[in-house]
Amino acid sequence: MTKWIRWWGLGVFVVFAGIFGCVWIFLVDGWVKNLIEGAGTKAVGAQVELDAADLSLFPAGLSLTRLQVTNPRKPMTNAVEVANVTMGLDGLNLLRRKVIVEEMALEGVRLGTLRTTSGAVKLTPDVPSEAEPGMFSLALPALEVPDVKNILEKENLETIRLIEALKGDVEREKEAWEARLKELPGKAQLAEYKERVKSLKKAAKGGLEGVLGGVGEGQALKQDIEQEIESLIGAKKEFEEKLALLRTRFDQVKTAPQRDIQHLKAKYNLSPKGLAHVSQTLLGPQIGSWVHQGAAWYERAKPFLEGGLAGGGEDGPQVSKPLRGKGVDVHFQEVHPLPDFLIRLTKVSISLGAGDLAGTIHNITTDQPTLGQPITLAFSGDRLKGVQSVSLEGMLNHVVPADSKDHLIVQAKGYELDNLVLSKDDKWPVTLASGVSDVNLNADLKEQGLTVHGIGNFHSLQFSAGKDGDTNPLTKSLSSAVVGVSEFSVQANVTGTLEQQEVTVSSDLDGILQDAAGKMVNELAAKFGTELQSAISAKIAEPMQQLQNNLVGFEEIAGQITERVTQHDAVLKSLLEKSLPIKGLKDLPGGLKLPF
Amino acid sequence: MIKLLARLLRVLNSETEPGQLSLGLCFAMIVGLTPLLSLHNLFVLLLVFILRVNLSAFLLGLALFTGMAYLLEPLFHLLGLTVLTAPSLEGFWTSLYQSVWWRLEHFNNSIVMGSLVFSVSMFVPVLLLSNILIRRYRQHVLVWVQKTRIMQMFKASKLYQTYETFSSWRPG
Repeated sequence: MTKWIRWWGLGVFVVFAGIFGCVWIFLVDGWVKNLIEGAGTKAVGAQVELDAADLSLFPAGLSLTRLQVTNPRKPMTNAVEVANVTMGLDGLNLLRRKVIVEEMALEGVRLGTLRTTSGAVKLTPDVPSEAEPGMFSLALPALEVPDVKNILEKENLETIRLIEALKGDVEREKEAWEARLKELPGKAQLAEYKERVKSLKKAAKGGLEGVLGGVGEGQALKQDIEQEIESLIGAKKEFEEKLALLRTRFDQVKTAPQRDIQHLKAKYNLSPKGLAHVSQTLLGPQIGSWVHQGAAWYERAKPFLEGGLAGGGEDGPQVSKPLRGKGVDVHFQEVHPLPDFLIRLTKVSISLGAGDLAGTIHNITTDQPTLGQPITLAFSGDRLKGVQSVSLEGMLNHVVPADSKDHLIVQAKGYELDNLVLSKDDKWPVTLASGVSDVNLNADLKEQGLTVHGIGNFHSLQFSAGKDGDTNPLTKSLSSAVVGVSEFSVQANVTGTLEQQEVTVSSDLDGILQDAAGKMVNELAAKFGTELQSAISAKIAEPMQQLQNNLVGFEEIAGQITERVTQHDAVLKSLLEKSLPIKGLKDLPGGLKLPF
Repeated sequence: MIKLLARLLRVLNSETEPGQLSLGLCFAMIVGLTPLLSLHNLFVLLLVFILRVNLSAFLLGLALFTGMAYLLEPLFHLLGLTVLTAPSLEGFWTSLYQSVWWRLEHFNNSIVMGSLVFSVSMFVPVLLLSNILIRRYRQHVLVWVQKTRIMQMFKASKLYQTYETFSSWRPG
């Protein structure tokens, strides 16, 4: 036996294993640091940095010092900076390649801190910030009646366009019908028929043989005249339809000036409607910008919320996507399935300028289907500077990825507003000097469908509006109305998807402004309308007269067709009434008719 | 390079048992063909150190089989995947999957499983075959080689002198 055993080899093995262990312990902190920085940077799309990582084995735990996550849109700013992160690891599960953290604490979380160096992964300049509050330009109604003469000189009026088009069409139709009149039966055909009638009369006097020969000729003549009358009547009907169409267009031309007036009034902003959407104009773009930012962060987090299945399902082993040189991992069903990554409880303390916001997040995992529980979060802050209370509750439910349901509720009470610039419009600047607001926000995302409903109640308000020495009656009236407002509410609704949303904002402030300026703007609009009416009428008078003359000329064609029908009718009538051979043969066998 | 070649010749021609040489090669086959940082390799290394296995044969074999592993990787992947997804074995693998140690072994990886199945199944055949080959080499080829003119010239070379130096060392 001793021939095959060398006991000193065991010592060598232990020494080698010891050296390997020491090297691992010495290097593992740096390895963990690099791992977190690499994975974080890849996930965020901007630098994620750590000052230090410390992995302890007994008990298993990890602490991170100064974690910085760069804002990918602003590389010189950290989206989040965390002073200390401490977590206890489940050592047994760590051996099973599962990172299970029972409790993690994030201390000293700060948002939007400045960086000393750029955190961009690739060289990109800071994205210009969205429009700041107060950067909007109010769509105020025009404050004086615009010069009608100038407007008509540069505007392409619909009325003129319609007149010209109709004139052209009437002329073309007239030419076409004049050409057709030449093809229709006229005087030449009438003369021929009269000759044939005379011949029939002679035949009637030529005895029985002449009578019998005239019967066939009479029938043929009657059929020819009737056919021509039919073609003339058909042409007349067609002409009348065409004429009716042209008259309808002529009637449209008559109403076109009113449409031109409405269009020009709207274009030159002589309508109080703009004031009905002041809150939409002021707040719509800002709310849209917030939704866009939130959607961008959510899109980054979404792949981690819906991570692949870690454990084998009921349908048998699951095969992961193969990696070159690494093979594939085949996963089998676990008795107590756990995700590959799970933080059961995260305690967070966020340092805001106004104070601290504390909260908890449950079940952070990349694999909710395996855990069977959604991520839930709850944050609150009381007695903050400038805010009475703030609370945030949410749930990210991707347990069934095809039927994901995310929900967020934000409430802020007693939020103090101070010197908030609402409008920097030169004509009418508006500033909210002070006030208090209560805000409730409910956001739901079901699969791709986004619904956000927000209500803001503002009270104890003090506005400053308008410029000193303002002489404009409209802005003076608006300023007076706004300064008198002590409270109002705003409702905002966002619907759509994460990629495309529609923001609608309404407020009782809209009604106040519309009431204040509506009458004044309406009077200006009426004056503008009257002047436009006169000017347009004068401008279109001559073209309208020309058009009318063209139509009258066209209508004459109808008279000519009618006359031809009458003349043909008269010939036919004379044929029937003068006892020609077409009469009296009705009783003969074979349809032959006798002239007596 | 000369030293390495000399060591190889010395290993082949030393007085060590053919079985010890063959065992070294077979252990090297397991460690070399399977991913190095696997739990089973720790056990194999323990055996290499404790058993009177020829370490030079092990190290040379390790270099040889590690190179071969890269070429055979597609085969290992297919073999491992076939074994791991075989319906008849699913219950067995599922029970192993519950164990921490087996998970640490990473047995559910296609290349780990494929290379381990291949090297373990080749262990006994390679052991027997290399035993036979070493014995035959010593009985027939070595005597004949030593008598050749080339060998006579070789014995006068620097390489042989280096080999002789190594031969004076006692085997482990």
